[in-house]
Amino acid sequence: MQRYHSFSIVLHWCIALALLFMFASGLYMVNADISKADQYQLFQIHKASGVVVLWALILRVGTRVLTQAPALPDSLNQQQVFKAKLGHMFLYAALITMPLSGWLMVSASPFGLPTFVFVDWIKWPHVPGVARNKTIEVLANNIHWITATVLATSIVGHIGAVVWHKKKHNINLVSRMWWNKDEKFSE
Amino acid sequence: MKNFLNKIIFSKTAISKVTSNKKSLKKILSLSCFTIAYLCWGISSAAAAQFESSHQSGTVAFSGQHAGMDFEGKFERWQATLVLPPQKDPSIVATFYMTSAKTGDSIYDSTLPEFDWFDIENHRIGKFVSTEIVMTEGGYQVSGELTIKAIAKAVSFLLTDNQDNLTTSFGINRLDYKIGLESDPDAEWVDKTISISMTLDK
Repeated sequence: MQRYHSFSIVLHWCIALALLFMFASGLYMVNADISKADQYQLFQIHKASGVVVLWALILRVGTRVLTQAPALPDSLNQQQVFKAKLGHMFLYAALITMPLSGWLMVSASPFGLPTFVFVDWIKWPHVPGVARNKTIEVLANNIHWITATVLATSIVGHIGAVVWHKKKHNINLVSRMWWNKDEKFSE
Repeated sequence: MKNFLNKIIFSKTAISKVTSNKKSLKKILSLSCFTIAYLCWGISSAAAAQFESSHQSGTVAFSGQHAGMDFEGKFERWQATLVLPPQKDPSIVATFYMTSAKTGDSIYDSTLPEFDWFDIENHRIGKFVSTEIVMTEGGYQVSGELTIKAIAKAVSFLLTDNQDNLTTSFGINRLDYKIGLESDPDAEWVDKTISISMTLDK
C-alpha cells in the first residue's frame, strides 16, 4: 500500500497530538475549578497553540493539494469510498473551522487581549472590523463549541473506520500514514 | 609739660576713637555675616520648597491585580512642578503621558493603549492639579484633581517628606475614569482599585 508524502505524515501526527492538547486544555480551562491566574495563563496558551495548529493545517492542506494522495485500497466498495471521502471532508472542514472560529471569538472579545504566539515578537493580529462585538463573539463561541463536537465525532469516526477496516477486512490503513521500508510515497 | 599732657590726652582720645571704630566694624561685619547667612538659608529653603521633577529624577508607578496576579507599571514620561508650603501659593501640577505607561508584560502593554483602557488615541495626557496643600508634621497633605481620559476626579494624599525626596501612595477606582469599564465592569479580572505611587527627588 502506498503512503502519503512524508511532510503530510509528520503534519498529520503533529496535528493529532496538538488536537489532543487543544481539546484537553479547552475543556479544562472552561470547566475546571482553577484559579483565575491559571485560567488566564491557560487561555493564552490555548490561543497561541490555536495559531500554530492553524498554520499546521494550512501547510497540511497545501501539501495535500500539491502532492498525490495514495489511492484507497481496491477492496473498498463504492459506498465505502464515498463514506471515506465524506468523512474526510467533514474532518477537514471542522479542523479549519475550529481555529478560525477561535480566532474570530478572540478578536471580537470585549477584553480585546492580543495573541502572542509564545514569544513577544510574534503577535497574531485580530480579525479586522469585529473588535468588542459581543454578538460576533457569542456567535463565534457557539460555532467553536459546535464544531468541537463535530470534530470530536469525526475523529472518533476516522479512528473507528481504521479499526473497523482492519478487523473486518484486514486492511491496514495506518500504513498509508506511516513510513514502511516496503511501501513508498505515492508519486 | 603742658604739651606733653595734651599729647597724652589727645592720644588717649585717639585710641578710644580707634577702639570705638573697631567695635562698630565688628558689629557691621557680624550683622553682614548674619544677613548673608539668613539670605543663604532663605534661598536654600525656597529652593527646597519649589522644584521641578520628572521621569529623569523620580518615579510615577501604578500597580494592582489581574486574575489574582500582581502587576506593576510606570509612566516613562512625566513632569511635575511643585511649590510647597511655606512658599506663597503652593501648588503641584503634574503631567504624565499615557502613551508612556509600561508594565513589561507584552499583553498588558498592548492592551493599555486601547479605547476601553487608556484610549491614548484620544487622550494622550493625564494630569494632576492640586487645589490645596497643607503642611503637616511629616510632609504635606495634598488635595487636588486627577484627570485621566478627560475625566477629573478629586483625590487626596499625604506627600511624605523624606529630606532627599517626597513619596506618596494612594488608590484610585479605575471605573471612575472608565478604564476597562466595557471589558471588566465587575472587576472580575482586574481590580477596581489601582494603586498610584510616586517618588519625587528633590
